[in-house]
Amino acid sequence: MFDLDPGDELALLAETARKLAQEELRPRLREHESAREVAQPVRAAFAQVGLAGLELPAERGGAGLGALARVIVNEELAAADAGAALALDPFGPALYGALQICDGAWLSDLLGALSAPGARAAWIDGGDARISADGTRVDAEVAWYPAARADAVVAFVGDEQLLVCEGIRCQELPGAGLRAAGACALRLESAPIARRAANPSGTERARARARLYAASLLLGVLRDACDFSRGYAQERHAFGRPIAHHQGLAFLITDMQMALDGARLLVHEAAWRVDQHLPCAGAAAAAFAQCIEASRLIGPAGVQILGGHGFMADYPMEKAMRESRALGLWLGGFDAAIEDAGRELCDAPGAALGLA
Amino acid sequence: MIDFRIDERTRERLADAREWGRSAMRPAGLEADRLSAPLPEGHPYFAKFIERGGGRTRWPGPAGAKRERTSVVETLLLLEELAYWDRGVTVADPGPSLPETNVLAMGTEEQKERYLGPFLAPDRPRWACFAMTEPGAGSDAAAIKTSARKDGDGWILNGAKCFIGGASRADWILVQAVVGGESGRGAQRSFFVERGTPGLGRFKIEKKMGLRAYESTSFTLQDCLIPAANLLGGEERYESSAGFKTAMRTFNAGRPIIAANAVGMGRAALDEALAFARESGLLHRDRVRDRLEAMARKLRMARLVCLRAGWLADRERPNITEASMAKALAAGVAQEATALGMELLGATGARGDHLIEKLYRDVKAMDIVEGTGQVQRVIIARNLVGLPR
Repeated sequence: MFDLDPGDELALLAETARKLAQEELRPRLREHESAREVAQPVRAAFAQVGLAGLELPAERGGAGLGALARVIVNEELAAADAGAALALDPFGPALYGALQICDGAWLSDLLGALSAPGARAAWIDGGDARISADGTRVDAEVAWYPAARADAVVAFVGDEQLLVCEGIRCQELPGAGLRAAGACALRLESAPIARRAANPSGTERARARARLYAASLLLGVLRDACDFSRGYAQERHAFGRPIAHHQGLAFLITDMQMALDGARLLVHEAAWRVDQHLPCAGAAAAAFAQCIEASRLIGPAGVQILGGHGFMADYPMEKAMRESRALGLWLGGFDAAIEDAGRELCDAPGAALGLA
Repeated sequence: MIDFRIDERTRERLADAREWGRSAMRPAGLEADRLSAPLPEGHPYFAKFIERGGGRTRWPGPAGAKRERTSVVETLLLLEELAYWDRGVTVADPGPSLPETNVLAMGTEEQKERYLGPFLAPDRPRWACFAMTEPGAGSDAAAIKTSARKDGDGWILNGAKCFIGGASRADWILVQAVVGGESGRGAQRSFFVERGTPGLGRFKIEKKMGLRAYESTSFTLQDCLIPAANLLGGEERYESSAGFKTAMRTFNAGRPIIAANAVGMGRAALDEALAFARESGLLHRDRVRDRLEAMARKLRMARLVCLRAGWLADRERPNITEASMAKALAAGVAQEATALGMELLGATGARGDHLIEKLYRDVKAMDIVEGTGQVQRVIIARNLVGLPR
């Protein structure tokens, strides 16, 4: 029956991630952003606490945890630095391509391609990729991907899912946000297809998990924006009282928190659906869309509450505004998400508001 | 462990509520709306409601066995479903309704027997109601002026109440009043005022924009003498600010209920809008589908926020902020859903005979009763940033 208590295991996981985020990521926020990568000691600390390979099966050396665990960890890490959270996870959402196909060979190839330190996998979706006429090679062009390098690509072309480990070109970009993860324009030029599979239901679930991955990073960024700007508003005085006590700002802060809480519940429900093997595509798409919608309010409002200080790099609000906007553009962004959620609503109206 | 599953018993009760709503509530609500008047006390709907076991108290009786408790989460889901079919009718339904929680929490055993006893197995539709709102005190419940003065072995009540659901047909009204010539929270007490008590009168049933199935009534208390025993909980229960807190306990339980009602109404508007768009060939248009999707998504979110408030209540954890969030969010989303429905209907919406048009009028009240959206934000802000009172 309805229960929002995370339980001991998830609570411990969240605490572990929060501690690492506060001790290792937050103090190096700007350092990682400037370097466009995460410092090696931080990577070591990440691996040491057991957060690497969170969703990898136990027989592959992972923790074998599910979507709820992922979204909870992602939120905690991203509350300190979403770019660093991305940089620390070599698989990113590309892992779901392999996991949802349930083909051990896929996973072996992906793990093999990511064996070098700092290696990253990328996810291509949304019609960016074209398969060559002979069906053995693929071309693709992605304007921005939040990684400095890509050693493997999982690409979705129609109902087909491809694994590419060679012929990947990355052109460095400044990146609007998530700079700690690096940024590149990604090209596949007649890249050989290492593996391919047609598995529409697997693709749908992989896409759902990918969206929850991004959505949970957004939650972290937005949570920090809410917390930081609220704290500032309680300390900063104007016209004889804390600015938070002017009703205009008090209501704005209230609406920001409501937007965050509501989006988080949608993300958790969708992740729970994934873990329960229930239909999850529409729920995950809606959750991602709602996080993006929340970010349109919270990102700029966080800066607004700090006024001129919000605009300056001395405070993390400008970073939160950039990062939240960038995350909302990833994986097809808002339009692709509402397209999928809308399709489910129209095709099966009961599903969108049905109870599990 | 995090779990969003709804259990089998709740599913069964939801299915039952759905059938009752479809077959009885919606027709009754449409009838009242068309006639622009509350369903009369003798309406066959109420008799059927009692027949199927409605209108009962949760009080087990003087020697009754404890009944299986319905969780707040389950209650919210049921009330969402019932409001889907007609929220006005849910308020019109007979029963001890809003004041029951207060009586159960604070009433003496004698009071429970006298006031809840008739609701154990009602011989006819019976109503009770709670009277807080006054012409000069709505969301600011601490500002009520109705007074109670001790007079020998009784209390004399004077004041005016307004927008009270079902007051003219209630067997008794739980009236909130201030004592000792004071005002504010600490001075508030609750009093049982029985039907026919001299001084209780001038009932005026308001004409409303929506939710017409139940009566919203104004009345006055003019030198209304009631026995001392009618003070809820008895004299000794009232210390410091307990009186006001009792009333606010109702409000805290009430906000998620209103939120659940709003979600149900929003769902009804969404389903009607979807059906209309499908029949009119509008669903293939991106702009239509995108807006419907946004509504579905926000209703889904509002439901979860609402259930969170209920889940906290079930665990007896503080839920003031969450309850207000649920109320503020759900009422706004439901209004958006009905407004979107009207836009999709176009001129058809202006005809005045479409369910969405009724829902559009009905749902506005959800952002007003139990504290407006603005008051909810004040409450949330007090908790989030210490907004001064």
